[in-house]
Amino acid sequence: MTVTEESTEPLLQRPPAEVRYADELAALRAADDGPRPPGWQMGLRAALRFVVGDEQAGISRKFVGNVSLVERALVTLATNRGLMLVGEPGTAKSLLSELIAAAVSGDSALTVQGGAATTEDQIKYSWNYALLVSEGPSPRSLVPAPMLRGMAEGRIVRFEEITRCPLEVQDCLLSLLSDRVIAIPELDGPEGMVFARQGFNVIATANTRDRGVNEMSAALKRRFNFETVFPIPDFDTELALVEAEATALLKQSGVTAPPRRDVLEVLVGTFRELRGAAERGERMSTVMSTAEAVSVAHAVGVRGWFLRGEPGTAADVVASLAGTAAKDSPEDLARLRRFLEQEVPRRKGGQWRALHDARHLLAD
Amino acid sequence: MATDPAAAPSPETAHFIGVRHHSPACARLVARAIAALRPAYVLVEGPADMNGRLDELLLEHRLPVAVFSHYRDETRVATSWAPLCDYSPEWIALRDGRAAGAQVRFIDLPAWHPAFTERAEGAANRYADAEARYAEATARLCERFSVDSVDALWDGLFEVADDPDGLQERLDTYFDLVRGDAEADAGDRAREEYMASWVRAAVARSGGRPVLVVTGGFHRPALRALAAVGGTQWPEVPEPPEGALGGSFLVPYSFRQLDAFGGYQSGMPSPGYYQRLWESGAEAAAGELTRAVAERLRGRGIAVSTAALVAARSLAQGLALMRGHPYEARVDVLDGLAGALITDDLDRPLPWTTRGTLHAGTHPVVAEMVAACTGTAEGALHPDTPLPPLVHDVAERLARLGLDGAEGPVRLDLTEPRGLERSRVLHRLRVLGVPGFTRVSGPADSADPVFTERWEPSPKAGREAALIEAGAYGARLEEAASVLLAERAHTAGTDAGPLAGLLFDAVLCGVGPLSADLLDTLADRVGRVRELGPLGEVLATALGLWRHDRVFGVARGPVLGAVVAGAVRRALWLAEGLHGSGGGVDLGRLRALAAVRDALRYAPEAVPITREAAAEAAARIAGDPLAPQDLRGAACGLGWALGGAADPAATVRALAPDALGDWLAGLFAVAREEVGRGDGTLVDVLDDIVAAMTEDTFHAGLPALRQAFAFFPPREREAVAAHLLERRGRAGSARALLRTTADPLRLARAKALEAAVTDLLTRHGLRTPCRDEHAMGPRTSRPDEHTTGPRTPHPNEHTTGPRTAR
Repeated sequence: MTVTEESTEPLLQRPPAEVRYADELAALRAADDGPRPPGWQMGLRAALRFVVGDEQAGISRKFVGNVSLVERALVTLATNRGLMLVGEPGTAKSLLSELIAAAVSGDSALTVQGGAATTEDQIKYSWNYALLVSEGPSPRSLVPAPMLRGMAEGRIVRFEEITRCPLEVQDCLLSLLSDRVIAIPELDGPEGMVFARQGFNVIATANTRDRGVNEMSAALKRRFNFETVFPIPDFDTELALVEAEATALLKQSGVTAPPRRDVLEVLVGTFRELRGAAERGERMSTVMSTAEAVSVAHAVGVRGWFLRGEPGTAADVVASLAGTAAKDSPEDLARLRRFLEQEVPRRKGGQWRALHDARHLLAD
Repeated sequence: MATDPAAAPSPETAHFIGVRHHSPACARLVARAIAALRPAYVLVEGPADMNGRLDELLLEHRLPVAVFSHYRDETRVATSWAPLCDYSPEWIALRDGRAAGAQVRFIDLPAWHPAFTERAEGAANRYADAEARYAEATARLCERFSVDSVDALWDGLFEVADDPDGLQERLDTYFDLVRGDAEADAGDRAREEYMASWVRAAVARSGGRPVLVVTGGFHRPALRALAAVGGTQWPEVPEPPEGALGGSFLVPYSFRQLDAFGGYQSGMPSPGYYQRLWESGAEAAAGELTRAVAERLRGRGIAVSTAALVAARSLAQGLALMRGHPYEARVDVLDGLAGALITDDLDRPLPWTTRGTLHAGTHPVVAEMVAACTGTAEGALHPDTPLPPLVHDVAERLARLGLDGAEGPVRLDLTEPRGLERSRVLHRLRVLGVPGFTRVSGPADSADPVFTERWEPSPKAGREAALIEAGAYGARLEEAASVLLAERAHTAGTDAGPLAGLLFDAVLCGVGPLSADLLDTLADRVGRVRELGPLGEVLATALGLWRHDRVFGVARGPVLGAVVAGAVRRALWLAEGLHGSGGGVDLGRLRALAAVRDALRYAPEAVPITREAAAEAAARIAGDPLAPQDLRGAACGLGWALGGAADPAATVRALAPDALGDWLAGLFAVAREEVGRGDGTLVDVLDDIVAAMTEDTFHAGLPALRQAFAFFPPREREAVAAHLLERRGRAGSARALLRTTADPLRLARAKALEAAVTDLLTRHGLRTPCRDEHAMGPRTSRPDEHTTGPRTPHPNEHTTGPRTAR
């Protein structure tokens, strides 16, 4: 969730992590003298430092969250179980898997994007049909998909949104994860079996909003270790992150006024409150993630600057919340309104008051 | 004590060990230091007023036990505990020090001393390790070492470290860092000054032999400096001021009470695990923890496969390796187990990554893991130990109230002061689980208008043991009861039923000045109830007692005030969020809004919400198209009752006919009086609407309408009837209009049935005009018959018509 500005690759909107942090990765690899699991580009501690940062060594903090979660994730990948990252949307699961893959394999691009239309072909391999027809099945006509490549090259494969795939497609991972081999029956001889090299493992992500992990088959479940990624627990950390991200986004949008901290405080406070309401059985159907908070902060800044030439105010927060946070659910809108009406007046501080006063801006 | 007390102190003979209070590693360090130094004195952080009774402390108790200190004067009540378990460094210092022939002394101020009051809120743990003032320093250390919690940091640095020789140095560095950052307050300085005076006196009398000082690591740097200069007289042990009561006693303690996850920030988590670590080392403790968790889970029918345990073990070993632990530490094992055994998404971060209580709804696997760490050990005092003050307090009270030798049943009149006092004593004993008396009758809840109680003596077996155990909760009966109730409140969920029970127990026990914790917790829990109806009941009873109680002495009291405030806020919050189109009337939620109305009307000083704000909320609910009709009606009534700009007559006009009854039920439930006091516009509008209804609509809506008007007592219903008669220009008795001889609903059903039969006949062509005329003959007269006579329509009656017709 950290924005960095890399001028080396001006053509790419968002280069992969191994390109964005190439210098840090190189430095960590060079300085790493710890034990290194076979097939890994660096040891576990170095990988951990890459993800959670190390101020003294000049390694930036890229993932804000539990350190022990990252430790468990890395150790899991060094064993023979896959890693399953679950959590609400917007909790930086994909970022975490990208960072880990970049650290462990130096390559985060072996990615399967799960969806209703995902097929086994996209996971294991398919064929170049022109060559297949003219030459018959051969390694030349084989088109390897990420899983096959990851096994052959000994790299981490990322499987995004695995629970959105049909169950039968998910289950094609079963033999692959336990036997660590893909059979290609069309090919004869040793080429018909691709054994996983050391360094291969799978990081899957699943969000708890769409189709949860409950529908996953028990057989597949037990081939993964589960890690739940949580929203940032600490207010100040989240505020700092939102401020940094929103400032960067605003700069990209041509807004020179930085966001006001007191306005961001009520914004982040509102997000945290609505997120916390889930514990009391009042879950918002809209995702109240930090990423959403950043996008609202961005919208607030843009409104303030282009409409009035100033940083956004609490009134802009209300107006933006209506569109961003309460997207299409009247229930969510009602809950937001109820929060503005009943909860906000109890909070002390100028911007909370302004937020309350602007509640009428929450259009129906 | 052979040397001249005036001799210059030589601080070199003083050895300071700064410890964490519940740390096996520190305990081992202390044991080694005593064995190596053979000190003349062992000075331990602990209440100096216990020094005369160290023999008692060193009896063969089964640990954990706690030194329990209490204090009470006119303005302040304080209690504190200094828990000791097998692996407490303080305990080892006392035991091994005595065994090595050293003079052992507690050297800290007594718990009641004002130096403690700045932090102690009512009930405190002297041996707290996780105090807020260190938080900043430890948080920075955690970040630097990339760990989540200070407990994990501590374990990695000290408990599983394989380097006993470097331990002291690392400890000193650690605590210097912590101390360097935290601000010592005036209380700390007073305590350190006092402890240092003991050290100087001991050094002066040690004859050059070593003096070992075992205190919290936080105090060590300051103590070293202070011990070098100053007088060498033995300091005096402060006496409680005139008129105040105070003292320290031994009470049995338990691992459950020690565990930080059990509710107090100041405990050390997982005492069961550390006990094992102390007894058999880190490796065995890790294995034992895995075994205990697997056993517990299997015992609860949760499948734990061998493969999963293998995965957990390898994960734990990998984590230990990665974190640089020579053996698996507590968090390594727990993390490993969590990674391998949990195949769901969690609602909350794993509890050992932070400090604090377990939440309701914690994943069962996680809950079992935490329980396995806690352990089940319960302490027991040696039989020769003087009994805790609670035992004497109870005996004295029972004797004074004539309850000690009661052979037969005891009848108490709660309206008499003596009866109430006796009732409270018995209820407090009941809450504390002390056998001896059983209540056989009395008020069942706070709405029960019963003012007598009957208690019967029951077997007294286990009574003294229960009292000694309860002695850990307080020195006096009412304190102990309220501390226990607060503990129950901490663990209570968000169901309204148990909360109401807890609240009534608090009322019955007459909780006293120690109840701040109970108060906050109850208000907090009430603020989390999820169902509006049950919440309304809690609010109504709390408000009733707050307003009217003459028996229990809680009227306008803070406990109920806090509950009322929390409940009103929560009720409005829940009501505004309640959506659903399901028809019908939910009396619970209507009563909840009526209770909100009463709270705002009669207890405005207890409620933090203004009438205006509540009326606005009511207006929003009333106008919410997604809200149930009865709730909208009730909200409209609430707005009306609170003087808001509600216009029920206009709203009624706009209502769909099928919603009318439900909506009115809500309105009448909350604003019946306003309707009665009004100018009758609403009744006029209703009359018009009902008159304009088709027969079918009327039949369909009648039950709900009748339910709505049932909120009016007969006299008010009569007034409505009179108004209707007058409006229609009819003369007659309004009372007679209301007194139908048969149930009007049955009449309506009969009418509907007749209509259906007629339809049926018509459809089958059996209802020719002439026959119809014939059949109609008796029928037309029937409605009159029904309204005048007791005859009920019998199905046969209806069939006779067609049958003759056939």
